Amino acid sequence: MTLTYAFFPGCTLESAAEELMISTKKVAAVLGIELIELDGWTCCGASHIQDIDGFLSTSINARNIALAEELGVSKLITVCNTCTLMLRTAKLKMDKNENLKEKVNVGLERTGLEYKGTVEVTHLLWALLEDYGLENLKKKVKVPLKGLKVANFYGCHILMPPDVMGFENHRNPQSMEMVAEALGAECVEFDQRLACCGFHAVFPAQKEVMTMTGINCLSPKEAGADCIVTPCPLCQMQLDAYQPDAQKGFDQDITMPIIHLPQLIGLALGISPEELAIDRHVVDAIPALQRKIQAV
Amino acid sequence: MEKITVKIKRFDGRESYYQKYEVPYEKGKTILWLLTMIREEQDPTLNFTSACRHAICGSCAVQINGNAFLACNTSLDEVLDTYKTMNLTFEPLKNFDVIKDLVIVWEPKMEKMEKVKPWIIPSEKGSNEHGFLQSEEEFHQIAAPTDCILCGVCASECNQLAVNQEGYLEPFILNRAYRYIVDSRDGSPQDHLQPVLENDLWKCLHCMQCVSQCPKSIPLTDQIAYLRSSTMQMGAVNNQGAKHAYAFHDDVKNKGRLNETMLPIKTDGLVQTALTKIPFALRMIKKGKINPLHMPKQISGIHEVRRLYEYAEEVKS
Ligand code: SF4
Ligand code: SF4
Ligand code: FES
Repeated sequence: MTLTYAFFPGCTLESAAEELMISTKKVAAVLGIELIELDGWTCCGASHIQDIDGFLSTSINARNIALAEELGVSKLITVCNTCTLMLRTAKLKMDKNENLKEKVNVGLERTGLEYKGTVEVTHLLWALLEDYGLENLKKKVKVPLKGLKVANFYGCHILMPPDVMGFENHRNPQSMEMVAEALGAECVEFDQRLACCGFHAVFPAQKEVMTMTGINCLSPKEAGADCIVTPCPLCQMQLDAYQPDAQKGFDQDITMPIIHLPQLIGLALGISPEELAIDRHVVDAIPALQRKIQAV
Repeated sequence: MEKITVKIKRFDGRESYYQKYEVPYEKGKTILWLLTMIREEQDPTLNFTSACRHAICGSCAVQINGNAFLACNTSLDEVLDTYKTMNLTFEPLKNFDVIKDLVIVWEPKMEKMEKVKPWIIPSEKGSNEHGFLQSEEEFHQIAAPTDCILCGVCASECNQLAVNQEGYLEPFILNRAYRYIVDSRDGSPQDHLQPVLENDLWKCLHCMQCVSQCPKSIPLTDQIAYLRSSTMQMGAVNNQGAKHAYAFHDDVKNKGRLNETMLPIKTDGLVQTALTKIPFALRMIKKGKINPLHMPKQISGIHEVRRLYEYAEEVKS
């Protein structure tokens, strides 16, 4: 079985979260998922451009989606919560409002493109459940992650607003648990499972966001987790790269390794932590993983 | 018979504790029915507020298993199904002071709301003789925001408010400011907007909690985007939030993608970045997460992207 998707990496995958690019491609190759990166994709706006110009924000994402439509695939896939939300928001707005769609298309015509609305926007997490199937994923597991206690940190934008995202109940999602358990890992219950990472306001609300980061690390730590797993590179960056800054506001040790979802999957597929670029994280995740997973 | 185990956070004015009740399950009921059953049949001392039972008065919102709901229009079956449980924990709304049990204090919030001048500052277009006529379109501008029933659900879920009660405005206060700013009869939108800006407008985290849970489906986060745009049009572009947004806006126009290395400098300026972000930058460089020598190339199709920017400008004017 080969699934083919148009692939929208998003800006972080080209720099700060290059390890997510590396691990996503490795995992896709092993699973037999073909990812065709969009040629000439732009930043999704990262939940900021609409503050300046909502129409522009819709237009650039209409262009991104139109690039995928040209490839003749049925789905555009991302590995970032916020990219998914931005693309889906633009799509929903145009699909609901014929006037807006026409207006956007007047602009797109000047670029030689047209937004038709034929491509669905999805996230790797959803695609694994919806298209690939947990049973197929289980068959590919070489190193069951038995004994590894993971804390699933969803991030807001893969869940909300539900009328845009709507893959599962935003008050009690289970997709991360389903995937982690299929890989053999044990999911810990912790208060901050559906918390906000704060990344989008880390500059203007630095103090508040550092407090949130500390709480977000401490909560799974107290619940006995070995690491946090997240489907979003922005949550990952906030919780990992800013963790030393957040630590300064806390007396207790908040140390908590933070890995990307494809890295967790890769480990279970038998790919080494180095190949998954787990050594690129600020908080070293490898010792905790080594302690728990044989063969790592 | 199936039973629902209900734990309610009680507060007697001095101490708080959880109290357990068991209620026989009935199909097709509301959350308010459940609370009313407990008060009428088991514990007349239990305090909660409700009046209209039709999602109008806004008095019956509570936290259930960690999230805020309007009790009278929330189906009990849906809540049980959401959390896949027969155990419900009730707490008063978060980010409010509590008077007793599930009853919260509204006065401080109303005082806070006065900051945004929640009233019409009449424009010169109207007069006592002729009134203030609005077109249908103008009326529609205020139709959605006036649906707010001040239930407090959005404030209870707000992640910024949770860590910044003093500084941040409740989403329903932002909605109220918006309502007057867009009202065609108001002659002084900046008088509502300035306090919004001064009260941490740029600290909204884009978490989408408020808009996801509002029982009246008020587009709170679109409103926040509008408020931010309006402050920038008013000339308030020299703050971290606006500069951060412009960094994205301009990078996409110039290259198509974000330049993460330059982002802190564009947002905070060189001096502030040097003072506060050096340890962060060093650890990012050490891990290869930012490469100061690597400048993103222009994407293929950048000229087309710029045409979209030009077009968006045309559409605006
Ligand atoms: S989106 Fe902003 S206003 Fe709404 S709940 Fe989140 S932080 Fe609060
Ligand atoms: S904006 Fe919505 S959630 Fe907030 S108080 Fe008004 S009706 Fe309730
Ligand atoms: S009782 Fe009036 S809104 Fe629920």
